[in-house]
Amino acid sequence: MDNIAVKVDDLTVAYNYKPVLWDIDLEIPEGVLMAIVGPNGAGKSTLIKAILGILKPIAGSVTIYGNPYDKQRKLVAYVPQKGSVDWDFPTTALDVVMMGTYGSLGWIKRPKQKEKKAALEALEKVGMLAFKNRQISQLSGGQQQRIFLARALAQNASIYFMDEPFQGVDATTEIAIINILKELRKAGKTVIVVHHDLQTVPEYFDWVTFLNVKKIATGPVKDIFNDNNLTKTYGINYKVSIQK
Amino acid sequence: MDIQEYFSLVFSDYTLRTITLGTAILGAVTGMLGSFAVLRKQSLLGDAISHAALPGIAIAFLITGAKDSNILLLGALVSGLIGTFWIRGIITKTHLKSDTALGLILSLFFGFGMLLLTFIQKQPNANQAGLDKYLFGQAATLVESDVWLMAGVTVVCLFVLLLFWKEFKILLFDADYTKTLGFNTKFIDVLITTFIVLAIVLGLQTVGVVLMSAMLLAPAAAARQWTNSLGIMVFLAAIFGAFSGVLGTAISASQNNLSTGPIIVLVAATVVVFSFVFSPSRGLLFKQIRFIKNRRDLELHKTLAFMYHIAETHEDISHPHTIKILNNFQGYTRGTLQKLVKKNYVTLDGNMWSLTEEGFNTAENLYNQQSTSNE
Amino acid sequence: MNSAQIEIQLIASLVAIACAIPGTFLVLRKMAMISDAISHSILPGIVIGFFITQDLNSPLLIVLAALTGIITVVLVEYIQKTGLVKEDTAIGLVFPAMFSIGVIMIAKNANDIHLDVDAVLLGELAFAPFDRLEISGVDVGPKSLWIIGSILLVTITLLLAFFKELKVSTFDKGLAASLGFSPAIIHYGLMSVSSVTTVGAFDAVGAILVVALMIAPAATAYLLTTDLKKMLGLAIGFGALSAISGYWFAHWLDASIAGSITTMLGLLFLIVYLFAPSKGVIAVMYREKQQRTEVSLLTFLLHLKNHTEKRERHVNHLQEHINWQKVRAKTVLDLALKNNMITISNDIVSLTKKGNTFTSKAIDYIITNEDTQIEDMKEDFFLFRG
Repeated sequence: MDNIAVKVDDLTVAYNYKPVLWDIDLEIPEGVLMAIVGPNGAGKSTLIKAILGILKPIAGSVTIYGNPYDKQRKLVAYVPQKGSVDWDFPTTALDVVMMGTYGSLGWIKRPKQKEKKAALEALEKVGMLAFKNRQISQLSGGQQQRIFLARALAQNASIYFMDEPFQGVDATTEIAIINILKELRKAGKTVIVVHHDLQTVPEYFDWVTFLNVKKIATGPVKDIFNDNNLTKTYGINYKVSIQK
Repeated sequence: MDIQEYFSLVFSDYTLRTITLGTAILGAVTGMLGSFAVLRKQSLLGDAISHAALPGIAIAFLITGAKDSNILLLGALVSGLIGTFWIRGIITKTHLKSDTALGLILSLFFGFGMLLLTFIQKQPNANQAGLDKYLFGQAATLVESDVWLMAGVTVVCLFVLLLFWKEFKILLFDADYTKTLGFNTKFIDVLITTFIVLAIVLGLQTVGVVLMSAMLLAPAAAARQWTNSLGIMVFLAAIFGAFSGVLGTAISASQNNLSTGPIIVLVAATVVVFSFVFSPSRGLLFKQIRFIKNRRDLELHKTLAFMYHIAETHEDISHPHTIKILNNFQGYTRGTLQKLVKKNYVTLDGNMWSLTEEGFNTAENLYNQQSTSNE
Repeated sequence: MNSAQIEIQLIASLVAIACAIPGTFLVLRKMAMISDAISHSILPGIVIGFFITQDLNSPLLIVLAALTGIITVVLVEYIQKTGLVKEDTAIGLVFPAMFSIGVIMIAKNANDIHLDVDAVLLGELAFAPFDRLEISGVDVGPKSLWIIGSILLVTITLLLAFFKELKVSTFDKGLAASLGFSPAIIHYGLMSVSSVTTVGAFDAVGAILVVALMIAPAATAYLLTTDLKKMLGLAIGFGALSAISGYWFAHWLDASIAGSITTMLGLLFLIVYLFAPSKGVIAVMYREKQQRTEVSLLTFLLHLKNHTEKRERHVNHLQEHINWQKVRAKTVLDLALKNNMITISNDIVSLTKKGNTFTSKAIDYIITNEDTQIEDMKEDFFLFRG
C-alpha cells in the first residue's frame, strides 16, 4: 500500500468515563479523500478531536507519518464545526484566515506580509477575496464555512481534518467546497471529512470509514460502501439506492 | 465645589490629582481586561471574584493587624483566586451549572467576609476602622503609592497584552483550534484569568466589592458597539473606562455625600446606554431607522408591482388608469404614490396615473428577482 | 433563651424557607444569577417606597420594590433580545447600575432616611424583634415575622397550586407549552415570587444573604437528589438548619447574624460538595478511578478479541502499543486474570470462553449507547465492581 498518512492504534476515548470510541484501529493512506460516516453520537467528531490532540484518549496512540501529533502538527490542518465559535466576535474574514498561519509562526511572533499573502491566496481559492474586510457576523453560513476552509488552506498542510463542512451551507458553497477538496486530493494531500449525507458519499469521496463507537469498516468507497456496512453502522436495516 | 472648580483644581491639588489619576488608570485597565471577560462569556465571573475577595481582606487584616493596603490586596488576590478555582471545580466536578456556581461562591464568600468584618469591628483594636471602604470603595482614601501600584500593574498588563496579542485573540475566538496549532491554551487561559483577577482586586479600594463587576463589563460592552476590530475594542474600552473614572470622580468630588464608586458606575452605564442607542452599525436607533426605511422600500415596491400587473394587461404600458383602483391595495398611500412620481416611475394626470417605461422595467426586474429567489 | 432570641431564630428560619422554595426552581432553571440581580436592583424601589410610606415594613413598599425586581428582569431580557451583548453581560450591566442609583439616593437623603448601606447589604436581624406589630393595642409579635410569614404562606399556596405546571415547565419547556400552560406566565410568576421574597427577606438579612439563602440550600440539595420534591424538602431543611445554627454561631462570636448564617450555608455546602454519596467530589473521583479501570479492562479485552495475531497479544504490547502507564497495565492484567477472563502462556494473552462472551455482550451494550443498559450489565457482571 502507499504511504500511511494517519495511523490510529487501539484508540479509546471516553467522555466522563463513558466510552464513545472503542479500540479504533485505522490507517488512512496518503492522498485519499475520506468520509467518516455514522449515526449521531457515533463518535465521528470525537475521533477527529482525539487524533488532533484536542481530547485526551484513555488508551491508544495516533501517529502522523510515523510520528506523534506534537511533532507533526505543522503537517495537519483542522476545520472545526462552524457552530463551535462565536461569529459575533469582533474580527474580519481576513483576520480569521490569517489565524491559519499562527501555528507556523509560533509564540509571540506577529504575522507579516508573507502571512498576509498566504491568507489572501487562501481567501481567493475559496472565492471570498471580495469579503476580506467584512466582519464575520455579516457573512452567510456558507461564507463562514468558506472562511474556515480558507483558514485551514492558509496552514498549507498535508493532511486536512474537517468536521461537517457541509453542515448548513447553500448548494453553491457545497459545490465550491467539494471542488477545493478534490483539488487538494489532486495535489497529493489527504483529506478526512466528517460527513452526514450518505447520498453524496460515492460522488464526493474515494475512501470511507464507517464508525459507530467502534470501527465498522474502512476502505475504498467502491469496495465497501454497501448496504451490509450501512446496516451494521446504522443498526436498522439500511438501504440506500446509490448509483455506482 | 462644582465641576468647573474641580477641573481647575485637579492639576494643582495633590489629593484630587492622586484620586483622579487613580480612577483613570483603574478605569483603563479594567476596561481593557473587561473586553476579554465579555468576549469569553465570563461577564459574571468578575462579580463573583470581587465578592470572593472580601474574606481575603479580612483574614489578611486579622493575621497582620496592619492596614497596609498592599497586604490587604494580597489577601484579596489569594481569596479571589481560590473563589475562581472553586467555581471551576464546581462546574467540572458536579452537575451544578455555571450560574449556580457563580452565585454560590459570590454569596457564600461575601457572607463569610462580612462575618469576619463584623467580628473585627467588635475587637478592641482602634486600627480596624476603614475596612468597610472595600464594600463600596472610597476613592478619597487613595494615596500616591496606591496609584503607583495601579500604574505598575497596568504597564505590566499592557506589556503582556501586546506580547501575547496574537495568542489572546485566537484563544478567545477558537480555543480548540488554538490547541491544534500547538499553543499551550492552559497557559494563555491562566494568564488572562490572573490579570482579570488582579485588575478586580486593584479596583476594590476605589469602587468596592459590590460594584466592581460593572467596571469590568460596562466599558467593554459599550466599546463593542462601535467597532468590529478586537484591537480597537480593547483600546476604546480603556478610553471609556478612564473617562468614566475621571468624570465619576469629578462629579462625586463636587457634591457632598456621594461615594465615588456608584457615580463611576452610573457614568459608565450612561456610556453603555448611549452606545446601545447611537452606535451607527449596531445601535438601536439606526437599526430602527433602517427597519423603517426597508419597510417603506418594500411598500413602494409592492405598489409598483401592483401597478405593473395592471399595466401588463394593456398593450400600451403607459395607458392611464384611475387612482381609485389603487385604493383597495394595502401598500398604497398618497405618500408612496408621490415617491413613485418623484422617482420617475409613474406620471400623474389629474385622477389618472400611468406607468413610465422606467417604472415598468424596474417593476419587471423586481418581479424577476423575486421569482428567482423564491425558487 | 429569651423571647427575642426565639423570635430572631423564627424569623431567620422563615426567611430561609421562603427563599429556599423559589431558589430551588431558580437553580434548576439555570437562573441563579437572576436572584443576584434582583436582590441588588430592588434597592432604588425600596428607597422610593420609603420616601412615600416612611415605613420600611409597609406593604406598599414591598409591592414597589417587587415591581423594581420585575422591571430588572424585563430590562435584562430586553437587552438580551437586542443581541448587542451576550446573555450574562446584560445581567452584569443592569444590576450595578440600579444598585448605584439606590446607593446615591440613600446618600443624598441621608438625613431623611434611616437606611444605611451596611444594613442594605447585611440586614438588621438582631433588631427585628424590637419593631412590633400591634393590633388594637395588643402586641402580636415582630412585624417582620408577620411579613415574612405572609410571604411564605403565599409562596407555599402558589407552590401547591401550580406544582405540576412548575415542574413540567422547569424540565421541559416545549412540553409545558404544548400542554397549554404558558412558560411565560410561569416564568414571570416565579420572578414575581422571587422579587417579593427578596424584598421581604431584605431588611432582615440583607441583599447578598438573600442570594445565599436562595441558591446555597438548593444547590446543596441538588448534589444529594434530583427528585424535585426531595430537593425542595432538603433545601428547606438546609436553609432552616443554617438559620438556627448561624444564629448561635453569631451569638458566640458576637458578629453579624446574616454573615454567620451564610457561613453555615457555606460549610454545609462544602461538606456535601466533598462527601455527597454519589455526586460529591470524593465520590466522583473514586468513581472516575474505578471507571478508568473498568474502561481500560474492557478496552483490553476488546483488543484481544479484535486481534488474532500474536504480536498484538503479547504482554509487552499493552505497555508499548496501547500506550498505558505500567501500573495501569498491570492492574488491568491482574484484574482480568483474577476474573478468569484471560489466560497467559508464554507472555501471549488469550481470551477465555468467559472473557469472550463477556466482551461480545459488552460491545453490544455499548453500541446501543444507553446508560440504563450499561447499568444492567454492571449487575450481571460482578467484575465491574471488582
